[in-house]
Amino acid sequence: MARVLVVEDHEVNLELMRYLLTSFGHDVVTAPDGEVAVRAFDREPFDLIVCDVHMPKMDGLQFLAAIRSRAQIAIPPVVAVTASAMVGDREQLLKAGFNGYVSKPIEPTTFVQQLEAFMNERRTAEQ
Amino acid sequence: MATDYERLILNENPDAVVITTTSGEIVHWSPAAVAMFGYSRELASGQRLQELIAPADLREAAGQRLAAALDTGAATYEAVHWRQGGSLFNLDVSVRRIAGEPPVVLWAFKDVTDLKLLRDVKFVEGKYLVLLESTPDATLMVNPAGRIVLANGQAERLFGYLPGELRGQSVDTLLPSRFGKAHVGHRANYFAHPRTRSMGAGLELYGLRKDGTEFPVEISLSPLATDEGTVVMSAVRDISGRKKAEQKFRGLLESAPDAMVIVDRTGVIVLVNSQAERLFGHSKEYLLGKSVDVLVPDRLRARHPALRTGFFADPRPRAMGEGQELFGLRSDGTEFPVEISLSPLETEDGVLVSSAIRDITDRRVIERALHEKNLELQSAAAAKDRFLATMSHELRTPMNAIIGYTGTLMMRLAGPLTPDQARQLGIIQSSAKHLLSLINDLLDLAKIESDKREVMMEDVDVDAVIEEVTTSLRPLADKKGIRFRLEKSADLPPLRTDRRAFSQIVINLVGNAIKFTESGEVVVKARRDVVGQNASRIVSVKDTGCGISPENLQRLFQAFTQLDSSSTRRHEGTGLGLYLSQKLAALIGGRLTCDSSVGVGSTFELSLPE
Repeated sequence: MARVLVVEDHEVNLELMRYLLTSFGHDVVTAPDGEVAVRAFDREPFDLIVCDVHMPKMDGLQFLAAIRSRAQIAIPPVVAVTASAMVGDREQLLKAGFNGYVSKPIEPTTFVQQLEAFMNERRTAEQ
Repeated sequence: MATDYERLILNENPDAVVITTTSGEIVHWSPAAVAMFGYSRELASGQRLQELIAPADLREAAGQRLAAALDTGAATYEAVHWRQGGSLFNLDVSVRRIAGEPPVVLWAFKDVTDLKLLRDVKFVEGKYLVLLESTPDATLMVNPAGRIVLANGQAERLFGYLPGELRGQSVDTLLPSRFGKAHVGHRANYFAHPRTRSMGAGLELYGLRKDGTEFPVEISLSPLATDEGTVVMSAVRDISGRKKAEQKFRGLLESAPDAMVIVDRTGVIVLVNSQAERLFGHSKEYLLGKSVDVLVPDRLRARHPALRTGFFADPRPRAMGEGQELFGLRSDGTEFPVEISLSPLETEDGVLVSSAIRDITDRRVIERALHEKNLELQSAAAAKDRFLATMSHELRTPMNAIIGYTGTLMMRLAGPLTPDQARQLGIIQSSAKHLLSLINDLLDLAKIESDKREVMMEDVDVDAVIEEVTTSLRPLADKKGIRFRLEKSADLPPLRTDRRAFSQIVINLVGNAIKFTESGEVVVKARRDVVGQNASRIVSVKDTGCGISPENLQRLFQAFTQLDSSSTRRHEGTGLGLYLSQKLAALIGGRLTCDSSVGVGSTFELSLPE
């Protein structure tokens, strides 16, 4: 079981990800935009952050920059889940510092395993 | 009292007899004086004699002679005088002071023009004839009275006279009558300030032949001081040929489509055509002799001389002020953009610059319109890009919920399903996935067709990609019970290509092959072809499907074509697959071909250059 922060402005899609993750036994905290997510990040530790890119107030890239500026807190893998699926979007996001990229629409049967793989990757790397 | 004889001598003397006061006012004017000078007694009476008959420049000399005569009591001398109308003639003058109360002066004038002419002729011929006959120009020598003292053979031929015929004639006979009067004045003027120069500079001069025809001439004058007084030597040149050339040149100038302005080294306009008159709104008369600056806007005048100097430093045809915006100035003060080409013009008067001036107002307007259109198109293209990106994003967001929740239900995360529920959810799921692939294909096509599909070349392990594709599609083949084989090539090096486009094409070809094959097998093969210097990588997908008839092969790569309309229902697809694959193949420099026979099967080949 892992603690996952899910950041997504689209309510239905946020609920879908929360539902899938909790169905597979993970503990989920949700945030509707980057600002709320930053506060959650400051409050408690997470094993994984799943983040939309296009959001009001503070978008995914700004959110990533904001938590990165907090040098005292260890940053878990951050995975972008986005409907930006045009050519080059994936490369651009990975370059911007996201640890992973999942395009929408998500494949529900494999979505949670995909996210778990990013966590395991990190664990393997740390060992 | 005067006797009758004395009166006869006074009035009937063939020589002109004039009596003046000692200060020169006429008190007696004989009939012979009337005949000789042309002024009536009434007109002459009371006038000062010298003012009446002495050319301005000779008045002073005449006055001195009179003073001397009055001193000594009498004098005899030769002089040139003029008569009413201005023609000059030679006179012998006797003058005598007559004592009395008051004293008067008696003048007697004898016309010796012909005698003088004979003397001049004799003198000048003896001295100059041989010389003048040897010069190429027609040459005339004229005395102050305007008589031709000498005409060389060239002059006689030029004017159409017999040898010797011109001698003694008034030079006015060689001029069209319309110039006669002016000529006398010019001549008097010339003798007053004799120097070598060309005649009537800037004027068009004409000669008159004996037969009455005229011809354009150029005349140069030089004074020749002789013991017998000054004569003027005129060299006359027939410039009909040059005039004709000039006419031709003017004709050429007039026929040019552009406004032409010809300017000399100092920037003075020497020639313009009527196009230039119209373009600038100035008359030819106004422009000739003016500085070309009148055609240049004030703000540009300062740099104009430098441009001109630059041209004369290296005179060759070229565009003026290359890379600069040039403007012309109309007579009404308005400006207009021009394009000017310059070329040097060699003339007898030195190098001139001929400028062809074109009003490019219209072109500027079109250029501006084009530029604006371009910007518009650019912003339209940018808007299209934004539209595509937004559409892609906006369509995927709801698809995420549809596919996602269908998935969670089918995964039975929300609870068990009845067989009907499961089947219906399956239909929703496959329809949603179909819709998604349609969206993907359309967006891809839109990008390719607006040249926005970027190609990212990288080293691609062809076998690995094919293996990935076959692995993901194998379940489909298994479900239909057809054999699915992959024949790998032996250790081929990676291929430099766009991974995504390449795998998209392979997915499409393999997917189609499975879709249209009911029994038998699908074989995917990769190989390398070398033809001469060119190596290419071939991926072939062979099936044992229904096959394609030759006529259908032609329509194969068109959009929204599924060949057998009856099969459309059976085979799910967007109808964009092959169309898109072919576009992608072209995008990465490759080619997509198909070989098929009905009932046997089809082979699709993707060929990519190495």
